[in-house]
Amino acid sequence: MFGFFKKKKSASVAKDRLTIAIMSDRDRTNGYPFMDEMKAEIMEVVQKYVGVRGVEIRKEIDGDMEALAIDVELDKNR
Amino acid sequence: MGIVIAVISGKGGVGKTTATANLGLGIAINEKKCVVVDFDIGQRNLDMILGLENRVVYDMVQVMEGEASLKQALIKSKVNENLHFLAASQTRDKSVLDSDKVQKLVAELKEEFDFVILDAPAGIESGYEHTIEFADAAIVVVNPEVSSIRDADRAIGILDSKSFKVKNGEEVAKYLIINRIVADMVESGEMLRSEDILEILNIKLLGKVPEDKGVIDASNQGKPVVLDKKSIAGQAYMRIAGRLCGKKVDMKNIEVSDDGLFKKLAGIFK
Repeated sequence: MFGFFKKKKSASVAKDRLTIAIMSDRDRTNGYPFMDEMKAEIMEVVQKYVGVRGVEIRKEIDGDMEALAIDVELDKNR
Repeated sequence: MGIVIAVISGKGGVGKTTATANLGLGIAINEKKCVVVDFDIGQRNLDMILGLENRVVYDMVQVMEGEASLKQALIKSKVNENLHFLAASQTRDKSVLDSDKVQKLVAELKEEFDFVILDAPAGIESGYEHTIEFADAAIVVVNPEVSSIRDADRAIGILDSKSFKVKNGEEVAKYLIINRIVADMVESGEMLRSEDILEILNIKLLGKVPEDKGVIDASNQGKPVVLDKKSIAGQAYMRIAGRLCGKKVDMKNIEVSDDGLFKKLAGIFK
């Protein structure tokens, strides 16, 4: 009869916490499967106009907002 | 041509080596030729669980380096002639592993055995990556506990990106073993249920293993717990081994605690 006042069972707390932690782990580590391909294509496009040393893409998550940060390092010698 | 299965967990201490030893012996009892390989370079353990620590002469690194032949390094189990064992190096560092050598070793073992079971090191570093690289399938071992499940998800992520099969556009099969389940705790809501773990990890269930003191007793003696017919963990591993060998074995619900009571009652009427 005191069931109403009982706090949430710890297994369901574990499930909620795990679901959130794993979701953010996956976002941080995996990015997208097409990252490498996209990198190569960006490099190709920019290279038409200016020399490129490398391209770096990161997936950034800030609250509900997701963004791709793309860094293109130029090759000064070209 | 055999199948190569990597046993992985991410977190250490969840029962990966115990699972490897017992599935290996369970498969051998099912009359399939099986080799278990310890990939935990520098921290050899599988030999102790199998009770074969005094028989190790050559290890798998020596085979890969061409210092010993596979035949010289393979150790046949005393309890079942279908089971063979290849030890990890105790003195070397995991940096000795390289993809070409691992691939060659795995291919050779695949020729000779129906099942090649690789016991991965804990963690998700290079030693782990080399273990999963040429595996056809992976068995993920977790405990119903948050850190184990989170680490397992990371290990699965690496499997999905670094496996040779995945890189060649194929899929690598993944199955879950939930180890050390305590029925009363699941019933009272203090331990995650298997359905919840499967949902979180998005993986298929291979089997559930209950918490059982007999596991430590078995490892003390170097006799895998499947040899103890009365052990509930041993029985669970035998059911899983049966499934791996293609037998249809129903999933036993070990998350209900009155099962033991029911058995006692049934025993009275025998």
